[in-house]
Parts: sequence; C-alpha cells; structure tokens
Amino acid sequence: MKHLTVVLLATLATIVACGTEDSGDQGAEGGGLATDVPIEIDMIGWRFPITEFYAEELESFNAIDNLTVSTQMLDAQSVREQVRLALAGSGESPYEIVQGDSVFLTELASKGFILPLDEYIAKYQDVYDFGDISDNLLRLGSPDGKIYGIPITANTMFYFYNMDIFEEYDLSVPETYDEVIAVSQTLADSGADLDLPFAINLHAGWAWRVEFINFLNGFDGTLLDDDGMPRFNEAPGVQALESMLRIADATMGDKGLSWSIDDVEIGLETGRLAAATTWASRAANMDDPAKSQFVGRIGFAPAPRVSDDGGRAAPVAADFYMIPANTTVDPDYIFKLIAEATDLETQNRGADFSLMTRGKVSEARQDVRYVNAALTSIAEGGASASTHPANPIMIAVLDNELSKSLNRRDDLQGLLDEMAAAYIDEARRQGAIE
Amino acid sequence: MKRNVFLAFISPSVIVMTIMMVVPLVTAILLSFNYITYSNLNEPSFVGLRNYREILSDPAFWKSFRFTVVFILVTVPAELVLGFLIALLIDQIRYGRGIYIAAILIPFIITPVVGTLMYRSMFDRGGLYYHLLERWFGYEFLLTTGTVRFLILSHGIWYVTPFAVVSLFAGLQTLPQQTMEAATMDGAGVLRKIWSVVIPHLRTIIVFILLIGIMDSYRVFDSVLVMSRSNPVFDVDTMMYYTFKVATSVQRLGMANAVSVITVIGILVVLIPFLVVTYRQQKEVR
Repeated sequence: MKHLTVVLLATLATIVACGTEDSGDQGAEGGGLATDVPIEIDMIGWRFPITEFYAEELESFNAIDNLTVSTQMLDAQSVREQVRLALAGSGESPYEIVQGDSVFLTELASKGFILPLDEYIAKYQDVYDFGDISDNLLRLGSPDGKIYGIPITANTMFYFYNMDIFEEYDLSVPETYDEVIAVSQTLADSGADLDLPFAINLHAGWAWRVEFINFLNGFDGTLLDDDGMPRFNEAPGVQALESMLRIADATMGDKGLSWSIDDVEIGLETGRLAAATTWASRAANMDDPAKSQFVGRIGFAPAPRVSDDGGRAAPVAADFYMIPANTTVDPDYIFKLIAEATDLETQNRGADFSLMTRGKVSEARQDVRYVNAALTSIAEGGASASTHPANPIMIAVLDNELSKSLNRRDDLQGLLDEMAAAYIDEARRQGAIE
Repeated sequence: MKRNVFLAFISPSVIVMTIMMVVPLVTAILLSFNYITYSNLNEPSFVGLRNYREILSDPAFWKSFRFTVVFILVTVPAELVLGFLIALLIDQIRYGRGIYIAAILIPFIITPVVGTLMYRSMFDRGGLYYHLLERWFGYEFLLTTGTVRFLILSHGIWYVTPFAVVSLFAGLQTLPQQTMEAATMDGAGVLRKIWSVVIPHLRTIIVFILLIGIMDSYRVFDSVLVMSRSNPVFDVDTMMYYTFKVATSVQRLGMANAVSVITVIGILVVLIPFLVVTYRQQKEVR
C-alpha cells in the first residue's frame, strides 16, 4: 500500500510539476469515432461535479453522425442497484459504460460482469497515451491483475481550515489529531462564534467505514489478509476506533455526528465551521464565489496524522469508466469513446472540478490550490479498501456495525470481533472465502 | 347480470391483479426458498427453509419488527384521532372550506420522498423548527436515536392524517341531520352526539382508514431512509428497511424475498380481523 501510494504521489505530482505539453490533437475531437452504422451508447454513473463534467463530455459526441450517447446520473445507491441487476441477468446490458469507484469495480470484476481492458489499452496505447495515467490508479482498478476500468478522477481527504479564524486566534495548522483536538479546544474556550470548531464525516454508516479504513491504515493495520480472513479486529483496529471516538467527543460531540458532507462544506463556506477533514472533491467549491463567502481564505493542509509517528488518515480513491461484459455494442468502439472522453485535453478542463488522473495535465492548472495537500495526504496516508472478492461483504458489515461503537465504547474489541465473525459467516455462505 | 357480461367486466382487473400482484407474490415465494446473490442470479440453488430460519434467528430482524409495530401503534391511532378532530372542525366551517381542505391535503399529495426531505429540512440546522426550538427553548435539535424516532413517527402522522381527514369529512357529509336534531331534542350534548351518533355512522370509514393505515405503516421505508441518513446507530430499521438492507447491502436476494413473504403474512394476520368485520358489515347492508 505504501509503495502504491508513493508512486501514485509521483505520478499525480506531475499535475503541478509538468509543463504544458501538446495534447496531441487526436484529429478532430472524436475523429476516430466516425461510424456508418447507428450506435447507441448509454452511460450510467453517480453524480458529483467531475462526473457530471465527464457526462457532458460524452454527450458532446452526439455531434458525430449515427452516434447517440445518453447519460444517466443518479445517486450512488441507485446506480449500484440498477447496474447489479442489469449485469447479473442473462440478457443484454442496457448500459455500454458504467461509472463507479474501485470498490464497485472490484465487486463487478469478481463476478465477471465487466470486461478486462488490457487488450484495448495495449492496442490504443500510442493513440491515447495511457502511460500518462498513473499505474497505481490503474492498479486500483485491477483487483486480479487485469485492468477493468479507465480512471477518470482521483479523490482523497485532507484538512480544510478558515485562515481568517486561524489568524485571529493565532493558531497553527495541526499536523496530528492530538493537535486538531488542541486547536478545537482553544477555539471552543475562546468563545468564537462558531457552530463547530472542527468536523470529520461520521454522519452515516459508510462514512464511519471510510474513516475507519483511513485510521486503520494510519495505525498500520489492514482489513483482510490475502485469503480474505479479517484482520481489522486486531490491535490497530481497536486503536482506530478509539481514536475516532476520542476525536469526535473532543471536537464536535453529538452535534457533529449529524453533520453530512454537505453540512461540512456549507459550514466552511459560511464561516460557521473553523476546520474539517473532508473530501478533495469539495475543495474547488471553496473558491466559488457563488457558494463560498471565504474565497481564497479557506486553507488546505495534508490530512492530520493519527499519532506522532502514525500515517495520515486519508484515503486514495478513484472513479472509473467500465464496459459491461454483456454489452451488444463493439467493446472496441466503446473503449475508444471512453478514451476520447478522458483524454488530456478533457482532463485539463476537468481539473476545475477534481484531481485528474493524467500526469500531463497542463501547467496552466497550477492554479489548483489544494493539489499539494491532496498529494501529501495520498502519499503519507492513501488508505483503500481491500481488492479481495469478499470486499463487498466486509464493506456491508463495516457500514452496518461500525457506528454502533458509540454505544459500545467499553468493548470495542468485542464489537470488532463480532463484526469479524459476522463477516466470516456471510463470506463463507457466499463462497467468497474458504 | 349474465355470466358472460360479468366476466367481461371483471376480467381486466383480474388480469391486471394477476400480473401485478399474484405473479410477483408467487415468484417471491419461490425465490425465498433459494440461495441467490448477484453472482448466481441465473442459477439459484434451492435451500428449502434456510432463508426463513436465518431471518427468524437474526436479532436485527426482530429489532426491525419491534420498531415497525411501534410505528403502527403510534401513527395509526394518532392519524385516526387527529383526522377525526380536523374533519369535525372543517365540517363546522361555512366559508372557504375548500381552502382548508386543500391546505390539509398538501402532505398527502406531494411526492413522498420530497415531502420527507422537506419535513427533515425543517429540523435540520438552518431549518424553521431547529431555529424556533433553539430560540424559544434553548434546545438544540440534534440527531439522536430519540429525535430520529420522533422525526419518523411525527412524519408518519403528518403524512397520513390528511387521508383520514378527507375520508371522515366525506362521511360527515352523509350524516342524517334528522338524527342529529333528534339527539339534540333528547338533550344530548356535543360529546354524547359524537359518541352515539357520529362515530357509529362513520364506523365503516373508520375500519377502512384503519385497514389502509396499518398497511401503509407496515411498509414504511422512505422516511426511515431519509431521516436516519442510513446511519445504523439510530436503530430505526423497519421491516421494509431491513429487507432493503438484506437485498442491497448484504446482497442476499433469496433471503430478501423471504423477508417480503414474512411481511405479507404479517400484514394478512393483522388485517384479517378487519377484513372479517368489513365483510360482515357489507353483508348486513345487503
């Protein structure tokens, strides 16, 4: 994991380090997509700013004769349900392109629902310069060694803080979560007019799972071993939960536990929240005058470390475009469409919304203020879910049980052991582990 | 009516009911005896009653069952009592009655999820009730097990009461004035007239409201999803939400079908007494 994230850092670092390179004008945009026979492409994915940007890019190919591209952007839960049903049946897929994260990709790949893309990547390597995409992002989409998705955006979490408030109270940006607690305490004692001094996302079952994996990784723990047996219930797992509860109690209490990611973003944009650890995909909005009252005044720093010598509590995540195995459209054509929609020129523009996946995103995008915080968080944190086929079962257990630690503070080991037993039970029933 | 004419009249609804209700129900029953996930959707394996045994031995199922029962016991009587009182008040209004009825119907006619989101937003930070509670009582409305349960229960009452109001108000319009006048002449007070004349007159409608109310409450889902934000710490799973989790989170589709079958059986057990009462009443009328 560490190796993976270090190389990822190196690749993503070129976003700011590399100079402008010619995007290698691939003929007229979409020029390789001319078709004599009518082709219909349906894409389904979940909605956030960068994925909507890509959806618009795909729809722009409707200008090509005989090509019809439709996109359907829903919430993540609906996408998962619809795609599972569509791809699990014996019929034809109603979608030609599926967008999803590495967890979803792993699930679909383990069931044989999506096509490996290695053949097409090799075939079009020279045309679309896939070497420009981080190997490690590609690896997030390669649960069994084959590449099942083209990464379209990367994401992580880091520390957002209101520079005006920090200057007013003479505060330093925290490096560890102990310092986060100290800063929060100072703000609380000062009587600053805030709803909360600090927030982490613990409002939903999945949010608990994301933070747990971040902290577990920070304490050098792991979720599953190579055989899919649970290891999250070992000492680092208990440490992770203890830390999360201690931080939540000391910085935001019950109030912060109900703050969603949207609440956190709005809190930062309106000055009601002094600091937060939240998603990189929210950073661009901090400088959007239509949304933020503190344009240029929200600072970005790497995610805090879990302890003085621990790692940073930050994930590395990516979203991918995948091709269903039961599509009736030529996968070669779909692949070319994906490649066109995610090429360098498109990613240069997409950097307005999120972290991109190509190294040669032009130097013009050095105006993206949060890149350094993101890269450091990934390099020194970079937690990700397991790529074992049993991962979806473990995710379900973590989503459904972790937040119950609020009511089991004096028996966290017992709670984690119960979760491990529930996971083993279900994974064995589903034949995912021996 | 000739037999052929009778069959011609009922056949469209029988066909639709068969396609929309009987076929899915039979399919659900058959699937409930199989082990199915998305991995073996095309080749389910028969496991007999194993899914049922697993459900009935799952504490989470019984927890969801208990909260569903609490939901029914709180919302259905509240819907009936509030609906009756509001219907009586509207019945006394002589001018602008339509405006009141239209206003009361709003929760019932807007899309359920939209209504649920609006209801929650009133208690969210920046929401009207959040603000008023904090300003007037210094109470900060935070999401806890208690407050989320309050939101789900109160939303349930808010959402279904208009149905009771409209049904009971319609029933009040058929109340014979002579009977009411006779009761007045006999010296009956307001409460006595309501108890001895109005409620018996509305008995069939009340049973109907109870039937619909119990069925609606039994399958409550939207408000649980929205109010709890899928956070299991609030412990507010209902049977429908439990089914949803089994199907989508754990991905045990056969088991989810088994929960659905248990739910249908549960509804039938609860509703059979009401159906018997309704049948007897109809028989008396005929």
